Amino acid sequence: MRATPAGSTGIVTAGALAAFLICGQPARAFTVNITAANPKAIYLQVGVGTFTGGNYNAGGTPGNNATINTVSVSVPAASVGNSVAQAMTTNSPQAISFYDGFTFCNLPAQVYIGGFYRNTTNTGAATVTATSPANLINGTGDTIPFTQISWTSSGNGDTGAQPFPSGTFVGGVQTIGTISRNQWAESCHTFSYSNTSIRPAGTYTGRVTYTLSSP
Amino acid sequence: MKMALRSVLALVTLTIVTGAVPAIAATFVVDDGASAPQESTALLRWRRFAPSRANDSNTLEGAMAVVVRLNLAPWTHRTGRVFLALPEQGTAPVRVSWTTQGRLLPGSIAPGNRVLVYAGPIATAVLEETLTLQIEADGSRLPNMQRLKFHFEIDVD
Repeated sequence: MRATPAGSTGIVTAGALAAFLICGQPARAFTVNITAANPKAIYLQVGVGTFTGGNYNAGGTPGNNATINTVSVSVPAASVGNSVAQAMTTNSPQAISFYDGFTFCNLPAQVYIGGFYRNTTNTGAATVTATSPANLINGTGDTIPFTQISWTSSGNGDTGAQPFPSGTFVGGVQTIGTISRNQWAESCHTFSYSNTSIRPAGTYTGRVTYTLSSP
Repeated sequence: MKMALRSVLALVTLTIVTGAVPAIAATFVVDDGASAPQESTALLRWRRFAPSRANDSNTLEGAMAVVVRLNLAPWTHRTGRVFLALPEQGTAPVRVSWTTQGRLLPGSIAPGNRVLVYAGPIATAVLEETLTLQIEADGSRLPNMQRLKFHFEIDVD
């Protein structure tokens, strides 16, 4: 008759012992610290760019390309200042997206603009800005306001809003678009000269600098 | 009748005591205080240098070797199963896989789990092994520094 209660007590004791051994034994553990070696990375390409080792989807990585592409138009004398916008063309050979090699832009009408933004922490999107001077200038100092140059935005096969939408230069610093964290974004810009005023003959030039800034 | 009753009681007692055995053979934390990662921090790099359009390629990866020294002295000459455990730690999703030199089993683990690394007789008081850890983490959710606290457990038969 004593065996049963003794057995029951034994169960409780054993369970309590096991619990004690798990919880009461000094905790031992090895700790591995992990951190990102390069938590942030940005890449911006306007016009021609460089990717080595194939396109992105083949494991390629971006490289530096110092080429400055041009966008230009020659306005026929009879058309100067007639307010008919003049389509501009580029010398950029970049029609494909380095994302996958797809022919994303149409040459010579469009300039590729794309890039990516890497970050392990969420501090917001990266921003692409353009800095343009107030005017294009010819050799004798005549000017055309940079506000005469606009662009539309598209991309072969794209639907919906472009990450770098249509716009007009402001002759200063302006936002061109944003790149969300850990995403690739790209558009094709088709530039035009609004041609709303008569200007002296000449070659007018000006440089726009695009900048990608991460938070 | 008394004899029959005693037999029944003995059977009940035996059953209960048998049921108690797994509790006695419950899990113990193994002293691995002499274990040491060979580097203080594992540096993880983006698996894909550039992100995708769809924000779906954010894996960070890296490796680290850890020399583990398990103090199995309390269970020598018994049999048991040793597990590597990685408790939930409220951190970014990670997955750790490892290879060994053969004394422990290779495997992989995610937080909140334990994985068998040894089963059989405990023949030595100290088991030393080098684990080469391959660590993957969600790069979109990794804080500046994250600590992964592993430990070993043993179920003794």
